[in-house]
Amino acid sequence: MLDRREIISTLEMVQNENLDVRAVTMGINLFDCVSHDPEQLKKNIYDKITRLASRLVDTCERVGKKYGIPVVNKRIAVSPIAAVGAPFSADQLVDVARTMNRAAKDVNIDFIGGFSALVEKGISNGDQALIEAIPHALAETERVCASVNVASTRAGINMDAILLMGRIIKQAAAITADADGLACAKLCVFANIPQDIPFMAGAYLGIGEADAVINVGVSGPGVVKNAVERAVGKNPELSLGQLSEVIKRTAFKVTRVGELIGREVADELNIRFGICDLSLAPTPNVGDSVGEIFQSLGLLSIGVPGTTAALAMLNDAVKKGGAFASSHVGGLSGAFIPVSEDLNIGESAANGYLSLEKLEAITSVCSVGLDMVALPGDTSEETLSGIIADEMAIGVINKKTTATRLIPVPGKKAGESAFFGGLLGKSIIMPVNNEKGANPFIRRGGRIPAPIQSMVN
Amino acid sequence: MKKVIISVIGRDRPGIIAAVSAALLDQDCNIENVNQTILQSEFSGIFIVTGPKRLSADELQRLLREKLDPMGLHIHTKDMTDDEPEFSIGESEPFIIVTRGPDRKGLVAAFTRIIADYGANVTNLQAVFKGGDDPGNNSMIYEVDVPAAADQQALDRDLRKKAVELGLDISIQHRRIFKALNRI
Repeated sequence: MLDRREIISTLEMVQNENLDVRAVTMGINLFDCVSHDPEQLKKNIYDKITRLASRLVDTCERVGKKYGIPVVNKRIAVSPIAAVGAPFSADQLVDVARTMNRAAKDVNIDFIGGFSALVEKGISNGDQALIEAIPHALAETERVCASVNVASTRAGINMDAILLMGRIIKQAAAITADADGLACAKLCVFANIPQDIPFMAGAYLGIGEADAVINVGVSGPGVVKNAVERAVGKNPELSLGQLSEVIKRTAFKVTRVGELIGREVADELNIRFGICDLSLAPTPNVGDSVGEIFQSLGLLSIGVPGTTAALAMLNDAVKKGGAFASSHVGGLSGAFIPVSEDLNIGESAANGYLSLEKLEAITSVCSVGLDMVALPGDTSEETLSGIIADEMAIGVINKKTTATRLIPVPGKKAGESAFFGGLLGKSIIMPVNNEKGANPFIRRGGRIPAPIQSMVN
Repeated sequence: MKKVIISVIGRDRPGIIAAVSAALLDQDCNIENVNQTILQSEFSGIFIVTGPKRLSADELQRLLREKLDPMGLHIHTKDMTDDEPEFSIGESEPFIIVTRGPDRKGLVAAFTRIIADYGANVTNLQAVFKGGDDPGNNSMIYEVDVPAAADQQALDRDLRKKAVELGLDISIQHRRIFKALNRI
């Protein structure tokens, strides 16, 4: 027999606190689709994706309904296309992206990730072609997402790749200038990219993964914020240790829901369950914001002094609760702080509480990094590369994932607004230090060596 | 040995279980199962006991009433025979149905009629109507085993339709979600 309070509190979480499963992402290995003939490659890719994922959306809907927990996003992540399509040219790979887009549309999912390359140590021919293909691949499709891993703790930081990505981001922005550089919102540059991220735009299926796998992204920040507010409402004198416990317990519940639903979807599709990603992923809706959690903890706004400490505590509590709830935790597993996708964070940037530099500082204690940051359209390639290099360094030295999703908005200046639509939201354009200046340091290229693993200070 | 089921109802106070169990011991009965609850001010308990073969359910009822009537307790007993086949719903899935909203006559009747029509079995029901604005104080929680063969979608649809008619919020969720969230 269930306890009445257990039932009512569970219902409260679902009905009033946005408890849901944020993403169920099917990973699909495409290496057995390889062919010397590009037409055959595309046919193989289309056939495999549509065969494995044809029941994904229906199954998620059915399982979600059974438990009364909505599965908000259903997605697909594939093997890195730079390796799957290594012999082909950039133009041919743009064609592969169109095929991925068609497959995504036909199985009714909103995003497909894996238009990706891993170049932390060097750039192969296939990687080069894929990176060159990114601007058109993202501009000419709606659902394809791209990612490039340019650094790792074991390999160091590939500065040639970072310089290249500065140029690619500018190109992607330029050819989607009429949509405020929308293509860049589907492109992540990573350090230490995990192989099993269920969240976009960074999801791809790692080379060490099974033929197909179901990974799950847990519910968003609304549940945590409400739990904190409820606890503080009952006892305004709660210490941070006690609040950390509240967050931990909430993360436990949220993760259990994600794992239960992910496992059942995986069982029904006869595919192995992979991991739960514990990340708190906001949406541009009131009540579903990481930024609001900071306010519920007592900060004026994300970005003011105290923010890094608050985020460190939040992130750690979420991990502790989540790790206890699930035996398979993976992906990014940290709080996201995407500026345009989180209404509250966007407002903090607009009100001047959150600067690019503070944002970079707080990414040292959370995942992912400088996410959905709109920058002035005139920002130079070298400055973009410099911002990326700084963010990568934080990840490499701290042995963690970091990423950037930077959008230099064509024709717009700092203080103006950019609109990306839907889940991608809107944002104030943040000012950049040395916006148009040259950067000889970045232009030197080469590879910053992998860091020493002892002497951890 | 034979099995007898006994129900005990009366105004709640300290000592009811002590009195009932002492009276049963006097008759050489052994308690196998007992479950009790308190609704508002009233005690209600169900006991399954094994006792001597010579002791009929009617005789036990008479003896218990003799001792417990002065305490204002109402006793009813019934033989449990092995002849009646035990009810089994077969393959089924447990769901929790929760309705929240203002009280009125006929709510339980309306929902249990639909549940019964689909061959589903209510295994636990808690209904609380305290009035006021807090929906948590005006709710019904049904734990229901739904046969695998039943049309679950149609049951879901009919229950939701009824809830709309009666002006209630309703949720229908598999039981596993509550255990996953609240139990380690």
